[in-house]
Amino acid sequence: MFNKVLIANRGEIALRVIRSCRERGLRTVAVHSEVDADALHTRLADEAICIGPADPSRSYLHIPAIIAAAEITGADAVHPGYGFLSENPEFAETCAQCGLQFIGPRPEQIRLWGDKVSARALAKSLGLPILEGTGLVEDVEDAVKKAENLGFPVLLKASGGGGGRGMHVLRSKEELRAIFETARAESRAAFGSDALYFERFIERPRHIEFQILGDMHGNIHVLGERECSIQRRHQKILEEAPSVALTEEMRGDMSATIVRAMSEVGYLSAGTLEFLLDERGELTFLEMNPRIQVEHPVTELVMGIDLIDEQIRIADGQPLELPAEPLTPRGHAIECRINAEDPDTFAPSPGVITELHMAGGTGVRVDSGIYGGGRVPPHYDPLVAKIIVHAPTRPQAIAKMRRALSETIIGGIRTNIPLHQRILEHPAFEDGRISTRFLEELQGECVLTATVRH
Amino acid sequence: MKLNLDQLRDLIRLLDESNLTEIEVEQDDDRIRVRRDPAPVAGAAASDAVAPAPTSSVPQSATLAAEDDDGDYVTSPFVGTFYRSPSPDGDPFVDVGDSIALGQVLCIVEAMKLMNEIEAEVAGTIVEILVENGKPVEYGDRLFRIETS
Repeated sequence: MFNKVLIANRGEIALRVIRSCRERGLRTVAVHSEVDADALHTRLADEAICIGPADPSRSYLHIPAIIAAAEITGADAVHPGYGFLSENPEFAETCAQCGLQFIGPRPEQIRLWGDKVSARALAKSLGLPILEGTGLVEDVEDAVKKAENLGFPVLLKASGGGGGRGMHVLRSKEELRAIFETARAESRAAFGSDALYFERFIERPRHIEFQILGDMHGNIHVLGERECSIQRRHQKILEEAPSVALTEEMRGDMSATIVRAMSEVGYLSAGTLEFLLDERGELTFLEMNPRIQVEHPVTELVMGIDLIDEQIRIADGQPLELPAEPLTPRGHAIECRINAEDPDTFAPSPGVITELHMAGGTGVRVDSGIYGGGRVPPHYDPLVAKIIVHAPTRPQAIAKMRRALSETIIGGIRTNIPLHQRILEHPAFEDGRISTRFLEELQGECVLTATVRH
Repeated sequence: MKLNLDQLRDLIRLLDESNLTEIEVEQDDDRIRVRRDPAPVAGAAASDAVAPAPTSSVPQSATLAAEDDDGDYVTSPFVGTFYRSPSPDGDPFVDVGDSIALGQVLCIVEAMKLMNEIEAEVAGTIVEILVENGKPVEYGDRLFRIETS
């Protein structure tokens, strides 16, 4: 096996990777920008290299600096984490060319699933259910024709988009005509391409995703699903596993379909297939993320597995040693993403952590990159901690999360903990009656209450 | 409501210690409200002060000399390997005591098999060479101390 792993990331995910490496006896190299010189990942790795200034394009996204850091430290493997370079096929290729083992999918797989239109076409050819949609639109007249054939409401999407950006819900052809050129210009500015297409729009979908692992010996395993319907502007906030909306039969059928599809492409390492679940109970493929995801711990807890360690073993060429399908989740897990932001306005709240007490006790796990006296720099992602709980049932997991949040003290910055508390107290959430519009509707209620009070 | 002065003081203290702008207490048919202007809210003010924090003023160009109490320093613009000479058996580009001119090559920092020549941004004299030949350097590491002329 390789001996020394460079982690091309920062924050909680860099620590997450350092921890699995250390448990396996691998040495670790942290890379950091100037503002992260005292960050926890910098302090906990065996070695740390400053690779550039705060601006990510000159540090965490700067491939030559990261490769040079691997060279001078003698690292022989690289874990990209999530975000930054994790879905950049050139980075995976460059690592391979420089003799560094990339702990993740093959570059051609990253490229294949990176473009949304080609990913949809590929998924369709592999037998995955696809949300009805169109090919790329040529101009506004073509767009109107295609949208009418599909039937309003439709979702206009940028082919190069992702993470929920570059999308418009359109309910009539007048709306479409009004926004088309703007959407095209936005797409060109944001993603460097003005390629647009349509998808059928589901009014109140759930976001369901399946975790997969593939090894170099042709084994593909599906490790159940996660429900990530609690989102704000398509950014996930709270995730859980399993989903109350899936029956054992639905889970089994989709797992079998995914195993067939991913075996055909010979998928390697960890990946996630995202789906929408509509009101009729139909799952349709959204996209495939060829990397580890933020919310991977809920799967780890209910499946009793260390996904990062599996990625390391897979990269080393070892076969997966998981029990035969189907793997069934044990108990229920919930994750709350604690962001450094105002719980009402969502304005970022960077600063110095003046006081810190993290939740503990049975069934509580905290993955975090902050410490008392440490700084949350304004240059990066606002995620400062993930609180994850595991309990035998969903109501017990909800009670445990409420308890864990009530213990948590993060001073000096504002966090979205009050927002999580509102979600967890809501009767609809308790009943599992949720959709990707839950948060939007919850906030609507809050605004309404405030208005009534005045 | 029989609210005495002490209780009113408690309410004001409670308001002060919290992020609230208004406290209203209602009992039977009586109501008392304590409020203040939102401006002095501790939490909001602190965050506003932090939010626009400028990104640190990092040297943008390759070899901007960092000024310090004891001289000017040439810092490494990349992470890589430091070489003092153009080839393993060649003479070093510069030595202690050498006068250097603007734009003169001082050393090489190798990153990804690319030899990046580092040029002087100031004229002066090399006072100290801070890194050994062939050693790794990080971004921002001090390479040379220079007395500017």
